[in-house]
Amino acid sequence: MSQVKLTSSVLDLDFSETEKRICRFIKEYVENAQAKGVVLGLSGGIDSGTTAALSSLSVGGEHVLGLMLPEKETFNQKDIDDARVVAEKFKLETQICDMSAVLGCFYKAIPVFDPSDRLCKGNIKARTRMIYLYYYANKLNRIVCGSSDKSETMMGYFTKWGDAAADITPIMDLYKTQVRKLAIHLGIPQELALKPSTPALWPNQTAENELGIKYETLDLILYGLERFMTTEEIANHLSIQKSIVEKVKTRWLANEHKRRMPIAPKIGYRTVGNDFRLPRHTY
Amino acid sequence: MKDKIKLALAQISSKRENKNENLQKIEKLTFKAKEQAADLVIFPELSLTGYVVRDQIYELAETIPGPTVEKVEALAKKTGMHIIFGMPELSEKTQATVFNAAVLVGPQGLIGKYRKMYPPTHSVFEEKRYFRLGYQPAAFQTDLGNIGLCICYDVFFPEVLRLTRLKGAQLIVCISASPAVRRSYFEILTAARALENTAFLAYVNLAGVEDGLQFWGGSRLVSPTGDVLAKAKYDEEDFITCEVDYSDLRAAETFIPTLRDLRPELFDKLKEYSESL
Repeated sequence: MSQVKLTSSVLDLDFSETEKRICRFIKEYVENAQAKGVVLGLSGGIDSGTTAALSSLSVGGEHVLGLMLPEKETFNQKDIDDARVVAEKFKLETQICDMSAVLGCFYKAIPVFDPSDRLCKGNIKARTRMIYLYYYANKLNRIVCGSSDKSETMMGYFTKWGDAAADITPIMDLYKTQVRKLAIHLGIPQELALKPSTPALWPNQTAENELGIKYETLDLILYGLERFMTTEEIANHLSIQKSIVEKVKTRWLANEHKRRMPIAPKIGYRTVGNDFRLPRHTY
Repeated sequence: MKDKIKLALAQISSKRENKNENLQKIEKLTFKAKEQAADLVIFPELSLTGYVVRDQIYELAETIPGPTVEKVEALAKKTGMHIIFGMPELSEKTQATVFNAAVLVGPQGLIGKYRKMYPPTHSVFEEKRYFRLGYQPAAFQTDLGNIGLCICYDVFFPEVLRLTRLKGAQLIVCISASPAVRRSYFEILTAARALENTAFLAYVNLAGVEDGLQFWGGSRLVSPTGDVLAKAKYDEEDFITCEVDYSDLRAAETFIPTLRDLRPELFDKLKEYSESL
């Protein structure tokens, strides 16, 4: 059997089928959980916009609340406008909560707070967003719908217990470039679908700058790793240096701790997060 | 024995760990099958318990015969129907040895059972963690013809269905819990297994979502020449009836004489080579 050649076409999907599959997943989960709908963070980016659109198509816009959670340091009117474009098109409810005041309290209340450490500070923002989402979900008897994609998740490019904290993650098995194509398939404006991604932890942060690689290349490397290809094969297929592929692979493997339950020493007969292998129910 | 029988393919979504609710569904659809003049109603793999039940399998497994089979026997007797369904079977000789089983019940009671020979353990599947392998092919002479049983991933192994056919099965029933990413494989293999064995093949898959796994439905009856005679909806619960006309077997066997052309000496080679893979 000839091996798949790593070109952008390997990431092609039947987007109608993908839409159907994800919508069924969301609908069934919400129904089984007997929840009244979903709450999600609506950043103005493509992952949350696509997740919002899919949620709305699954359970109806009136059962989808998009929380816009700006704060003064990273505030960008364009993001708010883009979030509104999606909200209006897919008829979902929105609410804006300015997190600036609560973030200010955190900064003041942490004795060792260091404003120059932008990563630690930025993670507070991601985790504060999570607190807002879960407050609304608890209050409204809804579930939190996460927007993580496969590229970020494999790379560990997210805040532990922050943006990845959710009850369901409908697009987590789609690479970023696939999310963009799905977004266009769903009718999200192309300009929004192709806009550079940012976790908005500090001003002018972009995912591709931080990761040091374009998503078009990253996704193909990750796809190769997913398919058990060697780093050499991937580098040859993409005509890039093996060291680039190895760097991605190292980062992917090093971040498994962010994708799992916390680890415990094995003491008992069956252990949470280890060999307690129970069905996941939604009741 | 009847020349023609009518099948009902009951492509259900099971409620995980809820045998009572699933039994109610089995009962309701058996009555529906009866109303539609079907002779045999077929439910998917592990339809009694749901597929993704993980460690709870030990609480859910039952012996065959056992309490659930007795209830299904009563249902078959009451309706005059033959019923095939899937359940985790607890070995009678041990406390926690479980098989992934298909059960065939008729109006006179339990006819037979089949224990899955190839429980998959790769990708999202972890069946060997829980299930002991079966060793025996299953084909039972019934009032509805000779019915063979197999389960899901077995269909990837031509020898399982070959054995079932050679044991006498004219209608091979494959119950399944196949997730959507594997749909194309099953569509090819169900047709191939029917064709290479010149037997009818009824495939009945789960529908619905269990723990993120989306079962693709698509249950079907395949003719002995590999044609899809009836097909249920993809992904959703569905209930269809279709007819098996055993007189088609003769024409198929003469046109595609794979059974006549079997070469037993090759099977020794198969054994030899597979042992040294």
